[in-house]
Amino acid sequence: MRNGCDAMTRHLRDLRVLLPFAVLIAIWWGLKDGFGISDKLLVAPPLVWSAFGTLITRGILAEYASTSLSMIGIATLISFVVGVPLGFAVGTNRYAARALEGFLRYLQGISGIAWLPLAILWFGFTHTTTLAIVIYTLIVPIIFNTMTGVRAIPENYVLALRSLGASRLRIVTDVYFPGALPSIVVGTRLGMGYGWRALIASEMLVRQGGLGDLIFGARTFSQIDRIMVGMIAIGTLYIVVDRLLVQPVESMTLARWGVLRK
Amino acid sequence: MSADKIVVSGFRHFFQSDSGRVQATGEIDVTIREGEVVTLVGPSGCGKTTLLKAIAGFITPSEGQILCDGKPVRGPGRERGVVFQELAILPWRTVRKNIAHGLEIARVPKAERDRTVERLIGLMSLNGFEDRYPHELSGGMRQRVAVARTWAADPDVILMDEPFAAVDAMTRLTLQEELGRLCATTHKTVFFITHSVEEAVFLGDRVLVMTKRPGTIKATLDVPRHGKGGRDWDSFTGDPEMRAISEQVMHLVHAERV
Amino acid sequence: MMGRIAWKLLPAAPALAILFAWWVYWTIVQPPPSVIPSILDVVRTGAELAFGGRLAGDIVASMGRLLGGVAFGMVTGMIAGFIAGLWRPVADFFNPLVVFFNAISGIVWLPLVIGWLGVGNALATFLIWNTVFFIVFQNTVLGIQLVPEVLEQGVRSLGGGRWETIRSVTLPGALPYILSGVRSGLGFGWRALIAAELVGATTGLGQLIFSGSEYHRADIIIFGALLIGAIAMLMDRWLLAPIERRTVVRWGLVAASRGR
Ligand SMILES: Nc1ncnc2c1ncn2[C@@H]1O[C@H](COP(=O)(O)OP(=O)(O)OP(=O)(O)O)[C@@H](O)[C@H]1O
Ligand SMILES: [Mg+2]
Repeated sequence: MRNGCDAMTRHLRDLRVLLPFAVLIAIWWGLKDGFGISDKLLVAPPLVWSAFGTLITRGILAEYASTSLSMIGIATLISFVVGVPLGFAVGTNRYAARALEGFLRYLQGISGIAWLPLAILWFGFTHTTTLAIVIYTLIVPIIFNTMTGVRAIPENYVLALRSLGASRLRIVTDVYFPGALPSIVVGTRLGMGYGWRALIASEMLVRQGGLGDLIFGARTFSQIDRIMVGMIAIGTLYIVVDRLLVQPVESMTLARWGVLRK
Repeated sequence: MSADKIVVSGFRHFFQSDSGRVQATGEIDVTIREGEVVTLVGPSGCGKTTLLKAIAGFITPSEGQILCDGKPVRGPGRERGVVFQELAILPWRTVRKNIAHGLEIARVPKAERDRTVERLIGLMSLNGFEDRYPHELSGGMRQRVAVARTWAADPDVILMDEPFAAVDAMTRLTLQEELGRLCATTHKTVFFITHSVEEAVFLGDRVLVMTKRPGTIKATLDVPRHGKGGRDWDSFTGDPEMRAISEQVMHLVHAERV
Repeated sequence: MMGRIAWKLLPAAPALAILFAWWVYWTIVQPPPSVIPSILDVVRTGAELAFGGRLAGDIVASMGRLLGGVAFGMVTGMIAGFIAGLWRPVADFFNPLVVFFNAISGIVWLPLVIGWLGVGNALATFLIWNTVFFIVFQNTVLGIQLVPEVLEQGVRSLGGGRWETIRSVTLPGALPYILSGVRSGLGFGWRALIAAELVGATTGLGQLIFSGSEYHRADIIIFGALLIGAIAMLMDRWLLAPIERRTVVRWGLVAASRGR
């Protein structure tokens, strides 16, 4: 009985997530029909739905999407493995911080996309070009947030542990890592958001597959329905990754340490 | 006999958390009369803060009710000032602006506001720090600012949650005497939580002792006040009657060691 | 004494190291200039562009678009963030939409919106707004939720009402997060702008480097990229750092870490 009730409320909660989208689709349809907007600018929801069917049954969507997904996966892995230790180094060592902070800040101002023309000259219109741009985009927020997370930890925590005779490694595992974790997760999450976008932008120009290629190619023939399917796929895939992988970690770290209020 | 200011009857509280319901207090009945200073001692985690926050109006009791001046408490109010266990002064206001905050909210004219703030800064020995921000003060000084902020707002009831815990022993003696004198002269109703048995007996007209968690009121001891207030450390330490009460409270508290 | 000088020079170390590596590589390998130009080529190209070329016009075009888009994104993001931060049901209702549109913010809109707005200022401004809004929004909501509850309770027990707690607790308490949101919003708005100009504009720094790739002029691209970074850094230092120094740093909420 009790279980049944819980399942009910869970389903109701799932539906609540869909409600704002239903409202949005209604507005979109209303605008399209109400103002008689041309099909070259915006198409009605059913057309997008049928374009979606076509792209799915011919396997086009799956192919383009898997290209994009594997790229962001590889880039995230590399950026995390390299970026987090670097962030710790910069955050905990005053010489490293002094040497690298300004430089990193400067690099952050040069978007990955700004290097795209150069990467194309170097690596041609290839996946390597895209991967380089996405890693560059992802790694900077990870390093930065790790660093700010480490620096935001009250010095007392470190001092308290040091006075207990803790080693440097112990301070990293017991204070810096848990203390900076929420910030690292936030940084990774942000980085993935921007990495995903840099990926799409890069794919638009490199034109070697991927969802960016899909929507930019559709532009050439004014296939608005395909563009919108592509956009929805880009958003949905990102959310699936974000929800299934990143957010559980985030809520674990943020809620666990009681920083977020109910 | 003065009127009942705060009446807590049948109070019990549970916190809802992810891991289930946590009982924070046992059943508690407390009456605080107008102008009375009631102090509360009890082991850590027994529910002292929970009771105080309920009286302040930040916690809606799971069971029972709380009356202030005969009316049920429904949220915080200006007539019940609170000095919190954690530091609650605003980091972005200077000492002066923090102390004046309650008066600002009450739209007290600036001249009068300045007078009150000046007086409290003197009383709390914060001279010279009026325009500093809290992060530039010591822990004890910050706590004094918090006490001053609540006093400045001139509430009828002052609820204090271990306000002097982070203050150095010397300053604490002075602050305790100041608080004692203020209580005697202004006839404020005070509810004061502390870990220190001496402090409880020194300040209280009545001392409540709580059991360990989930806490209930285990004993109530009256502290007779001779003369006008009788709250200065010289006469207190020399008074055999006070010593006897302190020892009695100590025994009660010791029995509740966690 | 030596230590002090070394400490002062430390921030220059990474740049010097890269310049040195570049110079060594270039003298040993002698790569074609269209792939890796010499340091001197880049400097010369920079001077040519600055004094005889299109540089000033490109900078003005980019900055105008940036400021318009960022200002619009900041204001709307903060307003929406406050509404969602203060009223949980509003945040809960819009959260799925925010999550979705955040996922497709910025450049993803370009193929669709280029048909609505054409190539030019309106397109770039839209893409920047679209990027900045979500950063500022999310930071504002987070900042509001992270303000310690006891500060609010303190003001309420002094008799402060809802408006008073918002004004004297929530707003200053959330400011560190809002400012960092604005800060990264400006940075990422700048990124979105370059991406937008690369594809959908005829002027601006993004077009400058794009033309560099069309003519195989690596020197133009490198100069342009370095300039893009320099402008972003100057904006940060002149616009945002002073605000921070006067507020959150003064209040002891954030350590004065950024190089003054
Ligand atoms: N927000 C909360 N959520 C869940 N449980 C809580 C919460 N606040 C307090 N508790 C629990 O309620 C009990 C009573 O807490 P309370 O803060 O009232 O103790 P206390 O007597 O003030 O202790 P101390 O002397 O250490 O301040 C504790 O066991 C605590 O774990
Ligand atoms: Mg307590």
